[in-house]
Amino acid sequence: MTDSSIKIVLKNVSKHFGKVRALDGIDIEFAQGTLTTLLGPSGCGKTTLLRLVSGLEPVTTGEIWFGDENVTGLSATRRDVGMVFQSYALFPHMTVAQNVGYGLRVLKTAPEEIESRIREVLQMVAMDGYQSRYPDELSGGQQQRVAVARAMVLRPKVLLFDEPLSNIDSKLRRSMREDIRRLQQLSGITSIYVTHDQAEAMAVSDEIILMRNGTIEQQGPPQSLYHYPATVFVADFIGESNIITAELIGSGGKRQIVFGDIKISVSVDEQMPYANGPVKLSLRPEIIELLNSNPNADQRLKGVIVQRAYMGPVIEYSVETKAGTLFTRVPAHSHQFQVNEKVYVHIHPDEIIIIPENDDNN
Amino acid sequence: MNQRINTAPGEIGPWVLLSWISIALAAYCLLPWTALEYGLTDFTKEEWLNALGWKFSKITLILPLTLAALVPFGLIKLPGRGTGWFFTIASGTVIGAVLIGFVTTQTSMGLGCGVVMMCLAALFAVGISELGFQRGDTFIAGAVIFVVFMVVAFIFFPVWEIFRNVLFTKNGEFAPLQFFQIITSFGVGRVVWNTLMLAFTVGAATTICGIVFALYSIRATSRIRVLIRVFYILPIITPPFVVGMSLILLFGRAGMINDALMFLLGPQGLFTPAGAQGIFERSGYIYGFSGIFLAQVLSLTPVSYMVISGMLSSINPSMEEASLTMRANRGKTLWNVTLPLLRPAIANSFLLGMISSAADFGNPLVLGGEYDVLSTEIYFSIAGAQLDFAKASALGLILLFLSLTVFFIQRKWIGKKSYVTVTGVETSGNVTPLPVGMQRCMTVFVTLWFVLVGVLYVSIFLGGFVKQWGADYTLTLSHHLELWSKGLGSGAWPSFRNSLTYAVVAAPLTTLVGVLIAYILTRKQFWGRGIIDFGTVLIFAIPGTVVGVAYILAFNTPPIEITGTAIILIITMAIRAMPVGIRGGMSALSQISTNLEEASVLQRAGSLKTIWSVLLPLLKSTIVSSMAYSFIRAMTTVSAVIFLATAGTDVATTYILSRVESGDTGVAVAYGSVLIFTMLIFTLLVQFITGRSRTEKQVKTF
Repeated sequence: MTDSSIKIVLKNVSKHFGKVRALDGIDIEFAQGTLTTLLGPSGCGKTTLLRLVSGLEPVTTGEIWFGDENVTGLSATRRDVGMVFQSYALFPHMTVAQNVGYGLRVLKTAPEEIESRIREVLQMVAMDGYQSRYPDELSGGQQQRVAVARAMVLRPKVLLFDEPLSNIDSKLRRSMREDIRRLQQLSGITSIYVTHDQAEAMAVSDEIILMRNGTIEQQGPPQSLYHYPATVFVADFIGESNIITAELIGSGGKRQIVFGDIKISVSVDEQMPYANGPVKLSLRPEIIELLNSNPNADQRLKGVIVQRAYMGPVIEYSVETKAGTLFTRVPAHSHQFQVNEKVYVHIHPDEIIIIPENDDNN
Repeated sequence: MNQRINTAPGEIGPWVLLSWISIALAAYCLLPWTALEYGLTDFTKEEWLNALGWKFSKITLILPLTLAALVPFGLIKLPGRGTGWFFTIASGTVIGAVLIGFVTTQTSMGLGCGVVMMCLAALFAVGISELGFQRGDTFIAGAVIFVVFMVVAFIFFPVWEIFRNVLFTKNGEFAPLQFFQIITSFGVGRVVWNTLMLAFTVGAATTICGIVFALYSIRATSRIRVLIRVFYILPIITPPFVVGMSLILLFGRAGMINDALMFLLGPQGLFTPAGAQGIFERSGYIYGFSGIFLAQVLSLTPVSYMVISGMLSSINPSMEEASLTMRANRGKTLWNVTLPLLRPAIANSFLLGMISSAADFGNPLVLGGEYDVLSTEIYFSIAGAQLDFAKASALGLILLFLSLTVFFIQRKWIGKKSYVTVTGVETSGNVTPLPVGMQRCMTVFVTLWFVLVGVLYVSIFLGGFVKQWGADYTLTLSHHLELWSKGLGSGAWPSFRNSLTYAVVAAPLTTLVGVLIAYILTRKQFWGRGIIDFGTVLIFAIPGTVVGVAYILAFNTPPIEITGTAIILIITMAIRAMPVGIRGGMSALSQISTNLEEASVLQRAGSLKTIWSVLLPLLKSTIVSSMAYSFIRAMTTVSAVIFLATAGTDVATTYILSRVESGDTGVAVAYGSVLIFTMLIFTLLVQFITGRSRTEKQVKTF
């Protein structure tokens, strides 16, 4: 089936609702057979983008291509798209079998084939045997799986997921997202997945598109967004991050960053030549280490613990330093500090993310 | 592997175009092109043949030729948007030409012409949907055109006719000041003042009673509160003037109360010492303001009760519990928390009461006496010998303006305001019971109310069985025998049969259009949606008497000449009952997530299939109750139909009123009680059937 998968291309797509520009000049290529996540805070346009691809919403300007077919003018009915809704949108007056078989009946498939296709797809989502149940007789997770089955039963060219896990309780979410990932890889259908949950995005995606105010902030595989955020917004949105201001000095490969009252040498990638001057640093909590002694004074920030929260496996601290309040997380079995205790903060230099000071609004 | 079918869903095949063209051709050849002299129910073969288009006039031969010329364009596909443009322009031009033809020659359209126009409209819908209207969805495009046509033809056009009658002289000259000449020529100030006075007091009184009933039915611990849940059915199934009639039986000059007083206290009764003036003077104190007021409060309070109790039962009990924990007693809580939370519902009920009071026609007609209000004044300026259409139009305009004003106030400032937060979270906690003393007072009030209503209905029922109410209480069957036993061609049967037939046709029609309007307004955004939106406002706000006048003015002359026919009564009933369908449809549709329809569309279903397989099953209970309610409304309405019913198309309500006017109270009451009884059985039957169906699945939406 994988060879039948197609790539989706959006060319300069915009969507305006009256005067509101929900999306502005979007260019994206979704590689064939991949699962791409549209990630972003609410109101960033990710669901609108999904609905444009589905055809439920017409574009204001721009073009949408499925493979080498321009589908911009086609309505949702004619686009060959399957979609899983946030609310599942199962027809409450139809059984599971009637729900899943709805599209097959619309296309006037032979009854025997309808039945076998329903069974086949329900087996994929481990719901075979529930054919005669009504949606209100199923749990949330089961309804979700029926919704996935219904979206896949017509073997669409494109699968769309609109926040499919947001109505499922957190413990089930992990296994559901693994199921979705497995089914997507099995079928090889090019898929777009919308979520506002960055952890979910990291777990399911081949590629993440982080959106903000109707435009694309950054696009790439999960690791690259985590390790190389292009803007403060990305650093802040993906994972947890302490954002502080610093200055970049020095020249060549030997450069230093100055923040608080310390100076740390860093190796700046030659490929990404940062100009000297003010920069933002993104410090992930896991690279901040707390020490009670100070063998190397000029490399460490002095700080005071202002808050402490016991979380089971880890303890979370807030430390006030001259560079600002830093948030960190240390294993519970290591040395424990008390509130108001003086500490030294060690930051692993190789893990510091430098973000050039740009016209970013944050 | 992928399923492919020749015509993609939603795409128009040539057979669609060809079938519309052939229906139009057939209608042109076989059906009367111009209106028949005596309507479709009574014609000779000769008349039918003479009315056929090709017999009628040679110029109409252009039409079939044009239609035939369209055929090849249905078969070939023009490049680009050619087909769309072609059918839009071609059918649009033909529709316009036909309309102009009828208007300029002052000819009335016949059935055949109607069918041809419908087919042309369908072709037009195909055309504009091919051009991208409604994103190429022909069914929705057609539905929009249909609804716009209904609204324009049966709302805007008649209302415009009222304006035209006021703004233009009989010779067609523009005379903007004529309105003032008309209304100053008689005591219009008094009529308007009477109407406003009545509307205001009735609005206030029904609201207060509504609050009492709502609190009592939801919060009281007494047993009789269960009765309240039944009592709102009564005014729905009772023709609006019957309450007025029963008040006469009870309190009128020859009424029971008066008789009892005279029997006990001599010929002058307790309150009527010789020469006394005042409200209890024995001169028919029930006629005039007090009578109309009482009748309207009795029949409108249930509406107010429904509005207020709906909001009261959705108040989160925890707010009242919070008040109780802060040392406020039950009375203080009620006054400081509960009632303020009900403010939107209270305002709503007050304004609704005002509109309904001003629009009420039956009660002022029966009880008005010297107390003139707008609705009856409109009637009396056309009824009888006066036939003053300009005056009727001017008064109609004033009433419409009043009603629209109140309606807009309600819609803009109150309609959307609600303190009831719908979170989807189950509310827990117990409702706070009423303070003990207050509950006692309410019990007395509610009991008195029920006794009064009970006596009223019993007197209607008994009134049909006594010889002459007030004079001769001998039991007799003569009234009922006169109505029902003189064969199907006389007595009550013709009017009863007419009512039933018209209501049976009107109910599905109004439900269809009402739900379609609700669907378009809740689901579709497009240029021109405002027309439908404003039409809906007019449908909601326009008083029945105004509809009556407007329809007489609009449909008494070509091109649509349908006064005196059954069609106009059916349309009137449909329009009068339409708010039910629209409101029901809107609230039901707002409960159904649009995702369900989108899911269906993504499963390759077109919009027709989606509506049929997804929306209709979910709207089933709404549709059934809307049909039932429309049917009842159609059976009991009087305000608009009284202008339009003629000897041949008399309906039950107009027949009863005519008997009241000729003094046959016994017969009128006998008929009225049968009507109420029939409606009661019908309502119970519908409730029984809908209550039992288990196919209704709860629609869960997020």
